[in-house]
Amino acid sequence: MTFKRLASTLALTVLTLGALPAHADIKVGMSGNYFPFTFSKHGELQGFEIDVMNAVGKRIGEDVTFVTASFSGLAGMLDSGRVDTIANQITITDARKAKYAFTQPYVYDGAQVVVKKGNDSIHGPEDLSGKTVAVNLGTNYEQLLEQLPNADKITIKTYDSNVEQDVALGRSDAFVMDRVSATQVIKQTPMPLQLAGQPFSKIENALPFRDTKDGLALRDRVDEALTELRQDGTLKTISEKWFDADITSP
Amino acid sequence: MQILDFGYMAELFPYLLGKLPITLGMASAGMLCALVLASGLAIVRVVQPPLINGAAKLFISFFRGTPLLVQLFLFYYGLPQLIESLVKIDGVTATILGLTLHFSAYMAESIRAAIVGIDRSQTEAALSIGMTQSQLMRRIVLPQATRIAVPTLMNYFIDMIKSTSLAFTLGVTELMGATQKEASSSFLYFEAFLTVAVIYWVVVELLSRIQKLMERKLNKAYQR
Repeated sequence: MTFKRLASTLALTVLTLGALPAHADIKVGMSGNYFPFTFSKHGELQGFEIDVMNAVGKRIGEDVTFVTASFSGLAGMLDSGRVDTIANQITITDARKAKYAFTQPYVYDGAQVVVKKGNDSIHGPEDLSGKTVAVNLGTNYEQLLEQLPNADKITIKTYDSNVEQDVALGRSDAFVMDRVSATQVIKQTPMPLQLAGQPFSKIENALPFRDTKDGLALRDRVDEALTELRQDGTLKTISEKWFDADITSP
Repeated sequence: MQILDFGYMAELFPYLLGKLPITLGMASAGMLCALVLASGLAIVRVVQPPLINGAAKLFISFFRGTPLLVQLFLFYYGLPQLIESLVKIDGVTATILGLTLHFSAYMAESIRAAIVGIDRSQTEAALSIGMTQSQLMRRIVLPQATRIAVPTLMNYFIDMIKSTSLAFTLGVTELMGATQKEASSSFLYFEAFLTVAVIYWVVVELLSRIQKLMERKLNKAYQR
């Protein structure tokens, strides 16, 4: 028996064994724990990303299914074809651009240092020397910190989630996150946190697709939908609903 | 400031309880499959048939020697890159598969220990009255080995229930994943994780009770 034959027999067995998820036209991966972009309240998934993707789906006439998984598992889901894209404020970086096909940016943001309320000694990344800074695993904030001139004096702690809590408890001196989410966290939750100075690095977020023929075709359709949603004001409306500001244009 | 938001916990409790079936379902399915596989492995390790014994040894060595999370990532994300159609394995199936393989390696060793632990005189006595090898296993060794193995196997089941919390990495919103998602919007981490801790604890406590009953039943013959 050839390897191919063996593989297809095995696959067939698995096909009949595994309960297949219902077929959906676009499967979107997200963490479900990144307030207010994607989060769950009383079991209902909601947020900016959900609204944007639903609008995109409507525009191109495809059903959108959301798949939630730990942030660290999302890239694997995209690579293995379990989802078609990830809507979780994925920042465009050179390394990611080399691997994935991105749409146009649909969120323009900045990296923001956040500290515990009352901590007025930190005003930006230059004050982080000798400090412990928490970041979420798999995000690009760790790389941003490592590129700072004072990088070797900063202790970076990487978490799977919950960096806000670590700073609120005082275990880490600061965390780095995008300015928009950080502002929302401070505004809408009782956590004792404050922004430290201005954003220090520009961030453009977009939807990554697999760099294959099918992936690129879907990317082009979604990208076109984003252009239309930008022109007719839908993106702006969704943004204002969640952030009281338009974060979808530079 | 109020220390704990009990209202939020009361609200969260029934929602999280609704995720218990998926958690217990994965653990139970994993346990059943692992018991079957582990028994087979244990018998191979006791009887030691030349080729299969080596394979069983390698299997146990690998699945006991690597973290469960690594194994889950290998099955769920790694295999589909080698064989594309394996992408059809969903998160629940991959978790059950991972739990089965991982825990059967541990359980095989404790079942083997239980079998080997039966005194040799029992075997000799059974053979002397003309029992066959399979009669000896079925009627003399395995019933006694079960009694010895039950407490440790129950331990593994409890461990397995808690290990299902890794399934959120594979996109399964089980008890722990649901808690994380809810906590991320309320930011009441302490309340959320306290609620889920109580749920896990009560479930495990109930299982411990069941274990006691089982042990009492299995010990009947030994009571004076």
